[in-house]
Amino acid sequence: MTDLTPAARDGLAELLLTLADDELVIGYWDSEWTGIAPLLEEDVAMSSISQDEIGHAAALYGMLGELTGRDPDEFAYGRQPDAYRHAPLLDHPRTDWAFTIARRFLYETADAARLESLAASSHAPLAQLIAKMRREERYHLMHLEAWVRRLAEAGGAVRERLADAFAALGPDATAVLGPLDAEEALLANGILPEPMAAIRTRWIERVGATYDGLGLSRPTGDVGPGARERHGAAFTWLHGEMTMVSRSEAGATW
Amino acid sequence: MDQQARPTQPSGDAEAFYAHVGSGGKVEADDWMPDEYRAAVLKFVEMHANSELMGVLPERDWILRAPNLKRKLALTSKIQDEVGHAQLLYRVAEDLGKPRDAMLADLLAGKTKFHNVFHYPTRSWGDVGIIAWLVDAAAIVSQQALRDSSYAPYARTMKKICWEESVHIMHGRDVVLTLMNGTDAQRALVQEALDRWWGPLMQMHGPPTDPARDKDLHWRIKAKNNEQLRQEFLSIYVPRIRELGLRIPDPVLRYDAPSGRWEYTEPDWDELRAVVTGHGPASQQRLEFRRLNFADTQWVRDALGGSAAAAA
Amino acid sequence: MSSEQVWEVFRQEAEGDPMVHGGSVNAPDAELALHYAREFYGRRQESHRLWVVPREAITELDDPDLLKPPFDRSFKRPGGYIIKHKLEAAKARAALDEP
Repeated sequence: MTDLTPAARDGLAELLLTLADDELVIGYWDSEWTGIAPLLEEDVAMSSISQDEIGHAAALYGMLGELTGRDPDEFAYGRQPDAYRHAPLLDHPRTDWAFTIARRFLYETADAARLESLAASSHAPLAQLIAKMRREERYHLMHLEAWVRRLAEAGGAVRERLADAFAALGPDATAVLGPLDAEEALLANGILPEPMAAIRTRWIERVGATYDGLGLSRPTGDVGPGARERHGAAFTWLHGEMTMVSRSEAGATW
Repeated sequence: MDQQARPTQPSGDAEAFYAHVGSGGKVEADDWMPDEYRAAVLKFVEMHANSELMGVLPERDWILRAPNLKRKLALTSKIQDEVGHAQLLYRVAEDLGKPRDAMLADLLAGKTKFHNVFHYPTRSWGDVGIIAWLVDAAAIVSQQALRDSSYAPYARTMKKICWEESVHIMHGRDVVLTLMNGTDAQRALVQEALDRWWGPLMQMHGPPTDPARDKDLHWRIKAKNNEQLRQEFLSIYVPRIRELGLRIPDPVLRYDAPSGRWEYTEPDWDELRAVVTGHGPASQQRLEFRRLNFADTQWVRDALGGSAAAAA
Repeated sequence: MSSEQVWEVFRQEAEGDPMVHGGSVNAPDAELALHYAREFYGRRQESHRLWVVPREAITELDDPDLLKPPFDRSFKRPGGYIIKHKLEAAKARAALDEP
């Protein structure tokens, strides 16, 4: 960490925060299915996937903590809602199973695209952590692909539910791979091996077949400014739940 | 016979069967068994499965509220395990001839029961510790005794469940210890939760039964009677509760050395009866929650059943 | 869920160990059966390998006439050969024969 320039450190901190907050928030939303998923067997699977994300978030906050001196729990529980930097895709609540599957699939494919790129990061500790995460994320992708295929192939109203969810979520999903503020510094250092725009284009190509198959237009590459900076009522509610106990007794150990 | 139950062998001799199980013999899913025995095992296992499924709900209230990342993972994992146990137990019950959908329908219609402790509300993070530590401990005392059940698929499942539950109790005790080592307010959370949960815990193993008339005991579906289980729970856990400075809300509770047993205020068996028949403080709300959830997710089960069924 | 099948799961605890029956899962097809087997018998990193088999693929034998037939078969097992006394006698005779 000591051989990074201030600009690179700030850039790395921003990158880590976006990755960590994404994993934390999706892990939290999908953990809500624990106990109430459509099938007992699937309940356990979805819970495992959610727990993996929380674990990844913890590891990413840990790395961020080495840069900033704060501990993972402070990051996870100690900020106001608008200080979180997760993608708009994750501002939606769990909603129903079709929505969860579509949102999860879009997230997992986008995450896979950026992790694939970051595996070649010049920052060795990050590259190593990414390699570990990718091994776990393989299962997530396998599982979500299996569900998208089954729901799409079921046809009729089931397929429509899935298609509606994909259509609604396309723009928000694209923003997972939106540009970073410090992208120039990160690219200069090789911490980010290629521009987010290139990763985004590749991702759209990969999920294109799914959109085509559902008779939908593919997501465009457009991402609005400050996409990760404002969060709505759903996340404010989630944040309230997440911090309810930790806030009840400031500074206490739980 | 449901397609998931195995084909049975030609009918046998009930007397020989009961002699076999009475002397420690084992029964598998596709062995011949008297209808009475099959029905008794099914009822026992079904109630256990229902309890795991409903037992998820008190703790689920807190799944988003865990105060740090370590507790978040531990609690989510624990609740996941309970769902897993429901699956394991419904599988055992299905192989006795009752389809899972029928068991879920009966549970949601209030026709079958689940254990008393899951009919009560939770109020604080203190409950999370007390439930994970003491409710799971009381459950494991029963479950360990079931590892020697005459019905072998159940016995094997209980071995797996006991192994998985041991982690939960450690997590629960860790949560309680952390709170007891914390602030006055945190200690108060634990005491207040214990005050509310002690009654249901004492009722959990059920009233003493007449061994001569307890078929589940006779046929070794279970190996210990209710009072034995309660005494075992008290012997292990009363000292562990008291050593933390917690007060158990029963002034009569003491170990009587000459008789070798714990004396306690007689639990309210009327309350137990009312609660398990759906009149507990949270019974109807939880069943309704499950009904709504089940209805909301029916389209997914139908979709997996094949395209024809998915046209809903 | 009438199209759901029951799949038996076998697990290997550690490298080189035999495959041992763990339990069963319900799933509509082999792909999800594999994922669910991983969840129930592998999510805690407790298995090195898993086999998932549709229940109908299993042929069972539990007939005692075939597996525990009544006639003596000790000649098929190590415990059926007790040589202690014969060995003692042979050693004693060999000692006497020494020049």
